[in-house]
Amino acid sequence: METKLLSQFVGDPQQHSIERAIEHGAYQAWQKVLKEIAPADLIQIVKDSGLRGRGGAGFPTGMKWGFVPKETLKPKYLCCNADESEPGTCKDRVLLEGDPHAVVEGMMIASYAIDCHTAFFYIRGEYDVGQVRMSKAIDDAYAKGFLGKNILGSGYDLDIVVHRGGGAYICGEETALLSSLEGDKGLARLKPPFPAVEGLYNCPTIINNVETLANLPHIVMKGAQWFAGLGTEKSKGTRIFSVSGHVKNPGNYELELGYSLRDLVYGLAGGILDDKPLKAIIPGGSSTPLLLPDKIDTKLDFESVAAAGSMLGSGAVIVIHEETCIVWVAEILAHFYMHESCGKCTPCRQGTGWMYEILRRIEAGHGKMEDIDTLLDIADNIEGNTICPLGDAAAVPVISTVKLFRDEYVYHIEHGKCKVRSQFRLRVK
Amino acid sequence: MSDFNITVNGQQVPVTKGQTVLQASLAAGIDIPVFCWHAQLVPVGACRICLVEIEKLPKLQVACATIASEGMIVHTDSPKTIKARQGVLEFILAHHPLDCPTCDKGGECDLQNLTFKYGLDYSRQHEPKHRVIVDANSTFDDLLIGPEIIRNQNRCIHCYRCTRIVDEIAFEDDLGAYQRGYHTEILPPPGREIRNLYSGNVVEYCPVGALTNDDWRYKVRVWLTKQTNVICPHCPDGCNLKLWTFHNKLFRATSNANENIDNGFLCDIGRYGYRYVASADRIKRPMVRRAGELVETGWEEALTFIKKQTDDIKSKLSGSGFFGFIGDIRTNEEIYAFQRLLRRVIGSNNIDHRFHRRRRLTPGEEVISRGIESDNAEYKDIENADVIIVLGSDLHSENPITSLRVKRAVKRHNAKVILLNPLPTPLGKRTATVEVIYKQGTAAVLLHSLIDAMVDLNQFDASAVKLSAADIADFRKANAAYSGVKGSEITGVDVSLVARVAEMLAAAQNVFILAGSYIERDPLRDSLHLAVANLQSFCKSARKIFLPPDSNSVGAAFLGAEPTVLPGRQSWAKKAVCEDLWHGPISDAPGKDTIGILEAIDEDEIECGFVFNADPVRLFPDGEYVRSVMEKLKLLVVIDSFMTDTARFADVILPLSTFAEIEGTRVNWEKRMQYSQRAIPPLHESKPGCQIIELLADRLGVRFNQPNPADVYQEMAKFLPTGAPTIYAGIGKDGFLIRSVAANKPGKLADLRFVAPAIDTEYRFFLLVGNADHHRGALTERNETLMKFTSEPFVGISEADATDLAVSDGDLVKVESKYGRVVGKAMILRDFPSRRVLLPENFGEMSTNVLMGRQDKIDLVRLAKM
Amino acid sequence: MILSDSAKLQISQTATRYPKVRSAILPALHVAYEEHGYLSDQMYEEIAQVLGVKFIEVAEAASFYTMFPKAKRGKYLIQVCRNISCALLGSHHLTTYLLDKLNVGLGEITADGLFTVVEAECLGSCTTAPMMQVNAHYYENLTVEKVDRLIEEFRSQK
Repeated sequence: METKLLSQFVGDPQQHSIERAIEHGAYQAWQKVLKEIAPADLIQIVKDSGLRGRGGAGFPTGMKWGFVPKETLKPKYLCCNADESEPGTCKDRVLLEGDPHAVVEGMMIASYAIDCHTAFFYIRGEYDVGQVRMSKAIDDAYAKGFLGKNILGSGYDLDIVVHRGGGAYICGEETALLSSLEGDKGLARLKPPFPAVEGLYNCPTIINNVETLANLPHIVMKGAQWFAGLGTEKSKGTRIFSVSGHVKNPGNYELELGYSLRDLVYGLAGGILDDKPLKAIIPGGSSTPLLLPDKIDTKLDFESVAAAGSMLGSGAVIVIHEETCIVWVAEILAHFYMHESCGKCTPCRQGTGWMYEILRRIEAGHGKMEDIDTLLDIADNIEGNTICPLGDAAAVPVISTVKLFRDEYVYHIEHGKCKVRSQFRLRVK
Repeated sequence: MSDFNITVNGQQVPVTKGQTVLQASLAAGIDIPVFCWHAQLVPVGACRICLVEIEKLPKLQVACATIASEGMIVHTDSPKTIKARQGVLEFILAHHPLDCPTCDKGGECDLQNLTFKYGLDYSRQHEPKHRVIVDANSTFDDLLIGPEIIRNQNRCIHCYRCTRIVDEIAFEDDLGAYQRGYHTEILPPPGREIRNLYSGNVVEYCPVGALTNDDWRYKVRVWLTKQTNVICPHCPDGCNLKLWTFHNKLFRATSNANENIDNGFLCDIGRYGYRYVASADRIKRPMVRRAGELVETGWEEALTFIKKQTDDIKSKLSGSGFFGFIGDIRTNEEIYAFQRLLRRVIGSNNIDHRFHRRRRLTPGEEVISRGIESDNAEYKDIENADVIIVLGSDLHSENPITSLRVKRAVKRHNAKVILLNPLPTPLGKRTATVEVIYKQGTAAVLLHSLIDAMVDLNQFDASAVKLSAADIADFRKANAAYSGVKGSEITGVDVSLVARVAEMLAAAQNVFILAGSYIERDPLRDSLHLAVANLQSFCKSARKIFLPPDSNSVGAAFLGAEPTVLPGRQSWAKKAVCEDLWHGPISDAPGKDTIGILEAIDEDEIECGFVFNADPVRLFPDGEYVRSVMEKLKLLVVIDSFMTDTARFADVILPLSTFAEIEGTRVNWEKRMQYSQRAIPPLHESKPGCQIIELLADRLGVRFNQPNPADVYQEMAKFLPTGAPTIYAGIGKDGFLIRSVAANKPGKLADLRFVAPAIDTEYRFFLLVGNADHHRGALTERNETLMKFTSEPFVGISEADATDLAVSDGDLVKVESKYGRVVGKAMILRDFPSRRVLLPENFGEMSTNVLMGRQDKIDLVRLAKM
Repeated sequence: MILSDSAKLQISQTATRYPKVRSAILPALHVAYEEHGYLSDQMYEEIAQVLGVKFIEVAEAASFYTMFPKAKRGKYLIQVCRNISCALLGSHHLTTYLLDKLNVGLGEITADGLFTVVEAECLGSCTTAPMMQVNAHYYENLTVEKVDRLIEEFRSQK
């Protein structure tokens, strides 16, 4: 069932070495690009492939590149967003640790397409192995002449700088990432101007996700038509899904877009832990609305998940079984958004904390019935009114859990305790 | 002027391209609430209170940062907008303490006002309010974060106006936002205070009571106060202040924003400057010297005393035995009336307002014939310049708000700023593109080297320069000794640095030259003015301003406070106009300037002086001499608010009201005349200047019947350029620009006449006199608030010299010259060049002029540890 | 001087890789943290001097991110992921288990100076939950037995 396009070699413990990666075809696409493909053609190829961003929003990659102004004297920058922090998501890490050269090559190709000569690899500070392997991969690529000045005699120069984050989820948001990369606090910025026009150091900047970039060598080698043949009509290629939570075989699985949630959860991931009934699934990372078991046959592509009432997001599928208190789930997520709010704009700074405090109170058994509507209204006052999507993301779990499990909230408030047991203990063995 | 319209709430609103929805709406009188937005700051869209609905856009948009585009249909009061606005207010109030009754901001708090207007009247917030506890034993969470500023983090709504003002406007770094999310806390950097020269602005623009001022705190409620609009008397920038009074007491000063000038920002000297008014040191009653002692007396007795003494002297020496000095901080009306008193009533043209300089008070013929004076230029011209030269000026301390314009030019369009100074100045690193330090007294050579380097580059625009190739060649030949390596040896400035500056100037399209006190006080001032004019000839669209020393120096020069020029800078030929207006003859005896007056006293030709709010004993660059001369006077009448160094020599002292107690007009460096209201009645038994002058004139024989400034103004206005308002009511917010007709006559280049300062092996240090932090001039030493910033004089020396002399910070150091000595605590200045000493001139206990000789071109001293 | 010469050299070299030196603040903070295990105002000052940036820029940035604490920690900083995927598999129990086992409060240092336990938000190890990060390393698919063994190992290594 899996289509191992990006993850084909991640199981090979030596794939992170440049020799092994080259044996497996690394940097062929890069050489092909340098020799044969003009930047404008490259952008067209990626547009034709239908590749969409793998970071969460699913924006068409080629179109994003196309926004970079052509007639400018300013330098252009590419940033690879490896600040993977969306709860439930660990698919980029698989690539960074398992096949770093694919990511480096993707960065090269994207840089070339947008005429960038200094690219930044922004990795979340906690990813130690990933950072070490990517740094090594980049150093080795320099040694082989794939990076640096006049690469392979093409006349094209490219440097890649590895930049470690300092521990802040918000830096996965592209404008906050730029603030952070400039040495500032990770504060989100107003858009417009969009980074493609005015980003890093006020210069045109493209920010692409790790997985997005890792697709590029394949598209270059096998062509846009081939890539467009994978997946569904509007969702092309594969995705690496991180399946976590209450499943028998949690893990990262690469699937062509269009398989169903059932295929993933009950097939590859082996079904629900201890064969308990399924309660809900968060299909695209913590910022996406929950789906009830009746949506288990939803196809995993951007449009189908949206039609089911959620989002494909970062591809993080979090499975929750019946014995889980949903208020407790909401509290954990609310704590996260409160902790990660950058503090720049009012609704997010104040609203995330307020929602958490109410949820904590309900969970602790001191809820009031009006809290439920207050929660919904706070979420409504945050949603759409903040500078960056963190506010919207924080509102989602609250709105979604209240909408789908209002009875549990009511029970919690009326009885001062969870409707279902939610004490998960550490396994002994 | 508008480019297109947008629709706001159904109303057509004109928009100038580039305007935001907020700007266009506010201009059209449509109210959109704001917290984080400020007209002078880059919008950040943080507070979200200005969210509005724009048709066709799915989400609400912040009006403050959304550029208006043609056809936009905006709703600022739709249900969706109102809900969002209420939501934002609710969020802000969730943890905002409800301590309005004990909060200083109450009554003028944006949050309070907007809550009344838009907020809900109940709270859904049941959780305990967050507190940032400063002292566990106190229920107040106040933290003193600088000499004058108190922070209450609980009230902070995180609009970041304060940190943005410090960063974007002031280019300072003593306030930041730390941590993240709800925990974001406003603080100075660890181990430091907020004490930059513009720190008070963060309080004024804090929309809530998170930042408050010590001077205003808990003293009076804002709604009880009355406000008057005055012009700041502390420097020639001419900022507009609002004075807040209650029961005729001053409680604070804030900005009365004027976009021509201050853009709504004040320096701390201007903001807290008013505090000297209520100083306990004020002279409260007239004083007369009896048996060698100054004793208090009544007005009548004092005037009688003056009448008797002056009659005696007048019968002996006629009018030429008298002189008058008037301080540059007085109003035009007082200056005008004072010189009229001298010329018409006393019969003397010996009058001056310039005490800082040792020679060439009246410009030489060449300077006059070439029309070398400040050009007609305004603040906005600084902002529009692409290269700004700050020459011989500690602009930051002397003209703080002009400095802000320079910074704005840097912030808005990356203007290049070139500092040419004898010492490093606080405008320093972040503002300056290049900072050039020349040896004291060599500025003219430096300017010449620059011109020469520009010619070498051959990049200047010959047609714009309006000089023939032959002119230029002649000029270079004549001044070859001051160019290139030779020039560099004199100035101590590296040839490559000169070349770099020359390149910047050659590439500039629009140059602004600000020449300051180090040029104005230089013994070779005329040469320097010529050199500045030479440089100007080589720069495209260049304007120059010779910054005047005090708040109304321009007015004083214009209204007759100089011996040979009548009001309106009329020549002597026009004296009939004056005689006509003043009901009688004026003397034809040529007046003497400060130096001439002092010499005449020394030679017993002058025996009586009227010194009106001036302190030559403190300022004239030869302390010993000026003291010896003052002692010789038979009668010295001092009209002042304080016991100045000069007043100690007085035979009669008449108590004078300060700027807050009088109305009148002042002229700033732009030559902009502005009207200043009276905030409080005269304190103690002091009287406003015009009234004192009327009393004196009346007593001495001529009655003008003009005891009020408004009356004086009506007469004085006849000397103002055509179009000037004839009564106070005609002076609007923009004031009136007294443009110069003489300025900017093109001409040949002037040759440099440079005399190298003599080097003395014993007195190895150049003496530099400047301002201490948060001080300017002598008024600030009587200001409790400003004394919190720097409370005593110091001896500023370089790190290298400190090591050499084995001196540490705070050690007592003796500074000696051929003429005298002072002692002070050493202050080691980072990045300060060696062989220089910096002394502040703001403190009575350290009179820097005792170290100076009036014959010297340069002041040299030696240093020793005590 | 707190930062070693080699650390300063590393910081100044890193700075050359960026178009603007301010960008090197985060890398510099990492260098300082790796050398000392905590940060201080003095280190901010030294970083500011090496880079030629303002002290306040370093101080503000450092305070924003979680990886540059000013408090000293135990030799082994144990960060237990508290987020959803780990929580569903018992991470809260993992935290209390560790605190009980090490007899220490959250954020405190054990008497022997070896351990500090804190909770962290999602560390990107969701498919191998529950997990904890000890200094730079991830320990995944944790069980009581595995945690016991790890603590013993750390103790024996001292």
